[in-house]
Amino acid sequence: MPTQIRAILWAQWRSFRNAMPGGARAGDVFGGLVALVWYGIWAALGAAASISLAHATREMLAAALPWVLTAVFVYWQLAPVLTASLGASLDFKKLAVYPVPERQFFTIEVALRLTTAFEMLLVLTGILIGLLRNPLVPAWGPPVAVLAFIVFNLFLAAGLRSLLERLLAYRVLRELLVLALVLAAAVPQLLAYTGVPPWLRSAFGGGLPAAWPWPAAAAVALGDGPAMSAPLLAGWVAAAYLFGRRQFARGMRFDAAAAESAGRARGGRRWTALFYRLPRLLFADPLAALIEKELRSLSRSPRFRLVFLMGFTFGFVIWLPLFRSHGSSLALFPVIVSCYALLLMAEVVFWNMFGFDRSSAQLYFYAPIRVWMVLAAKSLAAAMFVFVEIGMVLAMSALTGIPLSPAVVLETYVVALVLSEYLLAAGNLSSLYYPRAVNPDHSWGRASRGRFQLILLFLFPLLALPVALAYAARYWLQSGTAFAGGLALAAALGALLYRASLASASRVAEARKEKVLSALAEAAGPVVAH
Amino acid sequence: MPEGAPAIAVRDLRKLYGSKAAVDGLTLTVPRGCFFGFLGPNGAGKTTTIRMLMGLAPPTSGSIEMLGLAMPAHALEIKRRIGLVPDESVLFDRLTGAEFLEFAGRMYGIERATAAERGSELLELFELDNAGGRLIAQYSKGMRKRLAMAAALIHRPELFLMDEPFEGVDAVGARLMKDLLVEQVRRGATIFLTSHVLEVVERLCDRVAIIHEGKLVVEGSMAELHSGSETLEDAFVRLVGAERVLDRLDWL
Repeated sequence: MPTQIRAILWAQWRSFRNAMPGGARAGDVFGGLVALVWYGIWAALGAAASISLAHATREMLAAALPWVLTAVFVYWQLAPVLTASLGASLDFKKLAVYPVPERQFFTIEVALRLTTAFEMLLVLTGILIGLLRNPLVPAWGPPVAVLAFIVFNLFLAAGLRSLLERLLAYRVLRELLVLALVLAAAVPQLLAYTGVPPWLRSAFGGGLPAAWPWPAAAAVALGDGPAMSAPLLAGWVAAAYLFGRRQFARGMRFDAAAAESAGRARGGRRWTALFYRLPRLLFADPLAALIEKELRSLSRSPRFRLVFLMGFTFGFVIWLPLFRSHGSSLALFPVIVSCYALLLMAEVVFWNMFGFDRSSAQLYFYAPIRVWMVLAAKSLAAAMFVFVEIGMVLAMSALTGIPLSPAVVLETYVVALVLSEYLLAAGNLSSLYYPRAVNPDHSWGRASRGRFQLILLFLFPLLALPVALAYAARYWLQSGTAFAGGLALAAALGALLYRASLASASRVAEARKEKVLSALAEAAGPVVAH
Repeated sequence: MPEGAPAIAVRDLRKLYGSKAAVDGLTLTVPRGCFFGFLGPNGAGKTTTIRMLMGLAPPTSGSIEMLGLAMPAHALEIKRRIGLVPDESVLFDRLTGAEFLEFAGRMYGIERATAAERGSELLELFELDNAGGRLIAQYSKGMRKRLAMAAALIHRPELFLMDEPFEGVDAVGARLMKDLLVEQVRRGATIFLTSHVLEVVERLCDRVAIIHEGKLVVEGSMAELHSGSETLEDAFVRLVGAERVLDRLDWL
């Protein structure tokens, strides 16, 4: 292995070790357990595949294997995009100064693509073992096919990543592309509820075309026509290599700063300027200045714009088929989509409020202002965006013919704002206990620490409980008054909780400011995870 | 490499960001063995020029030759012979100082043991030996600059590209770095540095170029640049200085 590759791997290992002094913490143990469960599920799936394939007939294998490999391929290539994580990659901003040949960087980058779909390696291992145990399959086929299929996916994933990164450097294109990719995630769900359209059914009615990589890999694995299928698979691997290598080389020479400046907006529009000035009319400085700063910086952050956009588009596409297929009353639809939109926005505007400020967050601690005021300003700015977001959800609902009475509009707004109270109350504390520097220019990626993501799984339902109880009261008592009373109670409790969390956060901020600032200034090793 | 080739030769170099030219038709020759100061006000295009020289940002047009080799065609060979101290950190926060120097040495193809040994000597030279085992995240700004300078020296480069190398460094550290750079020039290396500390540039540099709004304003030896009792600062302000607005700011 060349010296430079060894040096990069060594430095990454040292960075990893240095980042965890003094053994594992409770959060890490919890994160490890969840990872164990997640990968355990995939390992079980691999084992199930192994058992099924070991006893399958050749006809069954010939029919199923191409589709299984297609599913593996789709997951491998699309899951990193759809789960908003492109996986680990080299930090070229720092490594490009060294005299390392491009092919060495490419080798590491290809190997790092394993990190984006480790689940599929578990499944493919199961498939390999199953095929090897099946007496109807020649022994040489499965190892050759599975290995070639893995290499094919690695090259393709490396190329796609480079291509996406370049496209995402263009401001407008970035958001449109990410939105399109994210909306694509809803396609399987749409198909599941609406049924497969006839044109699609007829296109794949006779099975997958044999020239495609998945049937080719399946044919090699089963030893079917190796004279034809093996060169075909080799051709796909070579094509993936050429694609990956070419895209990677173009990525290395790509000037992101120039691309970024090419799409830079010139000046603000009138209506956004009015929106930014709104806090001046309602509050006095410095609170108004702080809110205005939040409104301006959040609306200019691609990360925020994406989740904001997703709230009333992706949420809409995901929930509408569910409501329609179950014949449920559409009165609750705007409320559900709004709550989902809040969940999407939560990571950016609630849980990690200082994330986008990064090192500049120190201003809040040396400027002559109280920390509670900073948190309150961030909360008010978030509430303003929630208000606009709900407006967009309602507008989309109106456009798609969902019946909207004044009561539904009022209910949607009240529920979303009451839920926001609870989210903001929790966010005041989580922002100080789990701060993490986030690049606002990265359209995707996690905005909070891994272990906090897990806490959220339990926290969100808990925070939504008071609102849920109000709905339970309406359902059980069949009374609008009970519902209104329940919501009013939830709002009052939320206000008290918010007030308490603000006071507590102010005290915590003083004690933790050094830790918070150091976490917000943190950078990583030669490999960065997105 | 052609023996008589200059250390740096750029011709009609241009870099556009959108419609704005960060560097606009820069033509410059830096002789070998020269201590060259590249000056300009903030946003003049100094860092962009260094990034293009290092192959980190492709020029929109124009040509670059470093040590007689064309960039980017010979980028690898050029990088092997250059030491870079960039304006922004190229350090990895979760490595210790000693680990980072060993890493940097290995990235230049130096054997692991040799890289570690040189790293330890450089830490001592830059008075960082007590901090060698600490994470870089815990270093002050001046310590980071010193470590970046140490990393730039580890492979004995022939040409140094330095963007604000003295920024944030204390007087003792700055003195140490200056002595070291003078010694490097004495052994035949070339230094191309940007700095806003004009006294330092005046004392160290043989030749100076001033860039303003992406365009070369003047280039010449220190003697040519300022005449009579005029200091480099006077010449600099005369050439790129803006209108004095201070007089209008009564409240200040």
